[in-house]
Order: sequence, then C-alpha cells, then structure tokens
Amino acid sequence: MHEMGIANSVLEAVEKELQRYPGHRAAKVGLRIGEFAGVDSDSLEFCFEALVTGTPWEPLQLEITLCRVEQGRRGDELELAYVELDELQEAVA
Amino acid sequence: MNRVAIEKKVLSENDQVALRLRTALTDLGALSLNFIGSPGAGKTALLERTLQLLPYGTRAAVLTGDIQTENDANRLRRYGFPVKQITTSGACHLDARMVERHLGNWLDDGLDLLLIENVGNLVCPTSYDLGEDAKVVVLSVAEGEDKPLKYPGIFRKAELMLLNKVDLLPYVPFKPELARENARGIHPGIDIIETSCTTSFGFDHWLKWIAVRAEQKKASAKSFTELTSA
Repeated sequence: MHEMGIANSVLEAVEKELQRYPGHRAAKVGLRIGEFAGVDSDSLEFCFEALVTGTPWEPLQLEITLCRVEQGRRGDELELAYVELDELQEAVA
Repeated sequence: MNRVAIEKKVLSENDQVALRLRTALTDLGALSLNFIGSPGAGKTALLERTLQLLPYGTRAAVLTGDIQTENDANRLRRYGFPVKQITTSGACHLDARMVERHLGNWLDDGLDLLLIENVGNLVCPTSYDLGEDAKVVVLSVAEGEDKPLKYPGIFRKAELMLLNKVDLLPYVPFKPELARENARGIHPGIDIIETSCTTSFGFDHWLKWIAVRAEQKKASAKSFTELTSA
C-alpha cells in the first residue's frame, strides 16, 4: 500500500547519488528487500515503472533482491545496494 | 556501464528525521510509544483509557493518525492532555516528518510520555521509524489468532503486544493461548499483556509496563546529560 512512497524515495536517493557523478545517468538501481520489510516487490515494481515511464528517468530499471532471515540478516532490510551509471556522452554517441 | 555501491537505507531521509526526534525526546527523558494495529483493534479506546488512568502529574501528549477526520482527536481531547490529529489524506502510515511537524512546541514545556497512534494498518507503518522507544502492536480478540503469522513484520518489531477486548472472550471463538504462541513463534521476546478498555482489565499491568519504560528513559536521559556535560 505504501509502495508508491517507497518507489519515490528510491528515485530521490538515486537523484542524490547522481549529484556526485556529473555527466552520468542512472541505468539501473539495485534494492535489497528483507522478507519482513513489509514491502511487496511486485507492487513496488509496478509503482516504480509508473513513476519512471514518460519521464527523463526512462529507461531506468529496478532490480530487487529478496533476502531471507539468515546469518547476520534481520529480515527487515529495505536498502539501496547499488546504482549502475552510464556516461551521458556515450548515450549521445 | 559503471556500478556504484550505495549501501544505504531507502528510507534514510525518514530515518534522519526519526533520529532527530529520538535525540530531542531522549534529551527530555520522554518515553515515546508508537501504537500499530488493524482498524478496529481498539487503539483509540486504549489510549482513552490509558490517559484516564495515568498517574496524576504525568505530562503526556498524543498524536493520532488517520486518513481523514478529526474524530479520534476529539475523543482523546476529553482527558485534558494536548492532542493533535494527523490526517494523512490517503497515506496508509505516519512518517517521521509528519510527527516532527505536528509536535509543534510540545517539547519546549517538557514531556514525560508521547503516545503516537498510527493509521490502522499492520503493514505499512512497520517500515517507518517515528523516533519512538518502542512499537506496541494492538491485536483484538475479535480478529484471528493467526494475525502474527499473517503479518510477521510488525510482530517482530513490536516490543509489546496488547491483546485487547478480552472482555469479549466469552462470546468469540478466539483462543488467547494460540495467539500468544503465534506471537512468540515470530518474536520469542515479545511482551504480552491482555487488556479490556471496557472493564479496565489488565491496565494495572500495562501502566506498570509504561512506568518501567519511562523510568528507564529518564535514567538514560540523565546519564546522557552527564556524559555530554562531562
């Protein structure tokens, strides 16, 4: 139910990250979601796509890794793992 | 293609505000509790009875979240404590920014206890830290004993489960032992107290729980002040 807000927070975080890499655009963002995070990954993917489609973010992709409670994992993870960047010049060429 | 590791929480913005709130509340020695439960579990009735029975002189304040209406705040205002309604206009949970915005100047006059009633929902509120000392999950005997199994997230994160409306037990097939077993299966360390807002059953136990936690908070605030002024 709150996946739209989460998707928006992901984009905000990516935007912040991009400020550190001028001349780049984000191609893919990786998320880690724990089994008890209370976030539905299908719904999150749907919301993310809805936010990205038809905006300058396109074709930014979302990759979700689900993690289960095991050694060292709390199960409530909702973390940005990585972002994949493309240089803008390459995209133009 | 260039992959950059970020390794930060998606809700880190919320967590920063929550940290600021937690620090301000710790400075004051104020205990903050975040009440989460389904719509109809009895969260507002529970807060009403709690406000009524708090020890004389307790400086308490209440924030109550709902999607629409001031109804809950109007109910809670009758007990003489400051109360503010947070209407989320559709959002299914409270976030730390809403809490910070609505606290206003409450912290300026000193506070012992902040009670935050979240929007009725067992899923979304679980993800948002509101700077509280503990989440309290409210489950009523008019629901199913398997709620902890269906919504494990909140039962893992809550430090206390209030099993509410126990006055209805003679009329419903709910098995309290099974509910306890399910909750402890998900979170072995969870405290469980049975309450009835109609008869006040269990409120001595519940108020004692608050008193112990409030005492711990005051002590930690004191040691925090000593530490920072040393």
